[in-house]
Amino acid sequence: MLTLWDAPKGASVTITGLKQGLHQLVLNRLSEMGLDQGQTVLCLRRSPFNGPVVVAIADCVYSLEQQIASHIFIQPLS
Amino acid sequence: MKRIILVGKPNSGKSLLFNQLTGLRQKVANFPGVTVELKTGRFDAFELVDFPGTYSMSTLSRDEDIAVEKINQALLDDNTALIICNLDATRLESSLVFGMQMLALARRFNKKMLFALNMIDEVERFGHHIDVNALAADVGCPVAALSAKTLQGISEFKQQALALANAPTVPAEPMNEATTANIAADTPVNPLVQSRKLAAKYGIKASIVLKTQNRIDAFMLNNVSGSIAFLLVMFLLFQSIFTFATPLMDGVENALGALAQAITGMIGPGMLSDFLNDAIFGGLGSFLVFVPQIMVLTLIIGLLEDSGYLARAALICHRPLSYFGLSGRSFIPYLSAHACAIPAIMAARTIESPRKRLITMLTIPLMSCSARLPVYALLISVLIPQQQYLGGLINLQGVAFFSLYLFGILTALLVSFVLSRTANDDAKSDMPFILELPTYRLPHWKPLIHRVVQSAKQFIYRAGPVIFVVSLVIWTLGYFPSDAGGLEYSYLGQIGHFIEPLFTPLGIDWRYGIAILMSFLAREVFVGALGTLFGIEGADENIAGLAANIQQDGLAFGAGIGILLFYVVALQCVATVATLKAETGSTKLVLGLVAGYGALAYLLAFMAASLIG
Repeated sequence: MLTLWDAPKGASVTITGLKQGLHQLVLNRLSEMGLDQGQTVLCLRRSPFNGPVVVAIADCVYSLEQQIASHIFIQPLS
Repeated sequence: MKRIILVGKPNSGKSLLFNQLTGLRQKVANFPGVTVELKTGRFDAFELVDFPGTYSMSTLSRDEDIAVEKINQALLDDNTALIICNLDATRLESSLVFGMQMLALARRFNKKMLFALNMIDEVERFGHHIDVNALAADVGCPVAALSAKTLQGISEFKQQALALANAPTVPAEPMNEATTANIAADTPVNPLVQSRKLAAKYGIKASIVLKTQNRIDAFMLNNVSGSIAFLLVMFLLFQSIFTFATPLMDGVENALGALAQAITGMIGPGMLSDFLNDAIFGGLGSFLVFVPQIMVLTLIIGLLEDSGYLARAALICHRPLSYFGLSGRSFIPYLSAHACAIPAIMAARTIESPRKRLITMLTIPLMSCSARLPVYALLISVLIPQQQYLGGLINLQGVAFFSLYLFGILTALLVSFVLSRTANDDAKSDMPFILELPTYRLPHWKPLIHRVVQSAKQFIYRAGPVIFVVSLVIWTLGYFPSDAGGLEYSYLGQIGHFIEPLFTPLGIDWRYGIAILMSFLAREVFVGALGTLFGIEGADENIAGLAANIQQDGLAFGAGIGILLFYVVALQCVATVATLKAETGSTKLVLGLVAGYGALAYLLAFMAASLIG
């Protein structure tokens, strides 16, 4: 399954779910940020050497490290 | 006094609104161990309390816990007359997530609430219009549109807020304390869905709002142009610490010198005059000299933060620093520590993970601050010949300076690495790196000026009393018995002789021992103390003269390098110790740190003295 960590720069993706293993508190925060099932996310940048990704969610831009991004399942937007 | 509380998400113009409502007279209350800081000011007949920016009522870090706990206390407090919730009108969805949670709580606790729809000027610039009345009807709470920047709508907002705050509260059934514990869990169904619906109905399209920001980021975060921009910004920061602040520091030094001369001239020679000159103006004065540097540093960091760049800098540095158990946000504190550790320790407050923040704070003293400069300058000119290579491009003494700085940084990274492997694994102490990249904005001068003034005040209040006591003790020990004839025979001199065996393994005698002891006042005192012991008046200004004297006297190369390494590593600054204690809230930890760095410094000096010879 693809995760947000695999999303190429410039891709719009739909979130299909969150992987087990993150702390409940972090899950709450992600969902409040709009990283919820069915929401659309735009991958703006990837950093060299596996640095954080930059994504646009709703009306905000966030930077997420691998540990978080690889826990978010996605589907490319057709 | 009745209170109005101001809440809202970070980066939404809340601080500026607070500043516009209260003016520049504010009080700041800190809580030891966490970054939470409550600002209070006067707004009409009310006390306005600015709560730290909060993303949500369900918390992720210990700092947020405290912020939410304070909000809960305010909800229970009868003196809370009104809650103002600040919203970013350009980003309705994300600011309403917290806003709707807050509104649900306000209703439960029977508190009046008002939404401040801030940055309405920007919305209008996008050619968008928000129907404020319809929005108010939909959320079921009054909404006032305003811009804290252009002051548009601010007087109507003030009137509305005061009218609401002064209106009598309709009494509701009493709440019991136990219910507050479950606030987060109880927050009604879905503020999330609600805020999405409201944003879709009233807000601007996200793609329009984010367009400019993304365009600038394409440059600022690009691998090539972004790196150049980053280096330029850091160069500017470094310049500001060392070049722009120097005339101001010299000004303070000269003013204090003139004042000391005027006062001691008035009272004539004697013990009181010596005391004023050496303990007060010498001891306390050498610490006040750093105030302008701290203010300049705070100004530049404030500009970077308010403009939105600081978040980008943290993003760029996150990956390399995470290898050492640090966060991207550790970078700015590390950099500022080259001026002075105290503002750097306070700058570590922006680090999201408490654990990484602690590690950053504990390693900050290893950065070579400007107080070490005179010590480095003296010993380098004693030990390293003035030699140039490649036609003056490389200066051997310059290389030595650079090596000492580098040695400090590498030691800090190494210690961070070790600490990060040993620290505990509490989930809340290691918050993941989720960083909002805020819009680029032109910073407003009001919160900035306030911040600069506040930084100077905090520095003086925190470090001043400790420095004063230590000045007093060291001066007394160095001055008495006054008929003994000089520092060598004073109590301090006697202590120096007594502990000489401690310094013998380092290849140095009691004079260096005393100078090192006196450095606990402030590191640069080392130079002045050695000057006194070698009989050179005004050694601070005459480093070359003192250096020649030390060379004649004979200081072994290895021992000299040993002292340098000792100064890089040892945590000798009492003001830093006091600040660390206040910020970590743990005396034990800080004393352990002093002992640990002391032992490491001694070991390094010993190795240098015995291996190099």
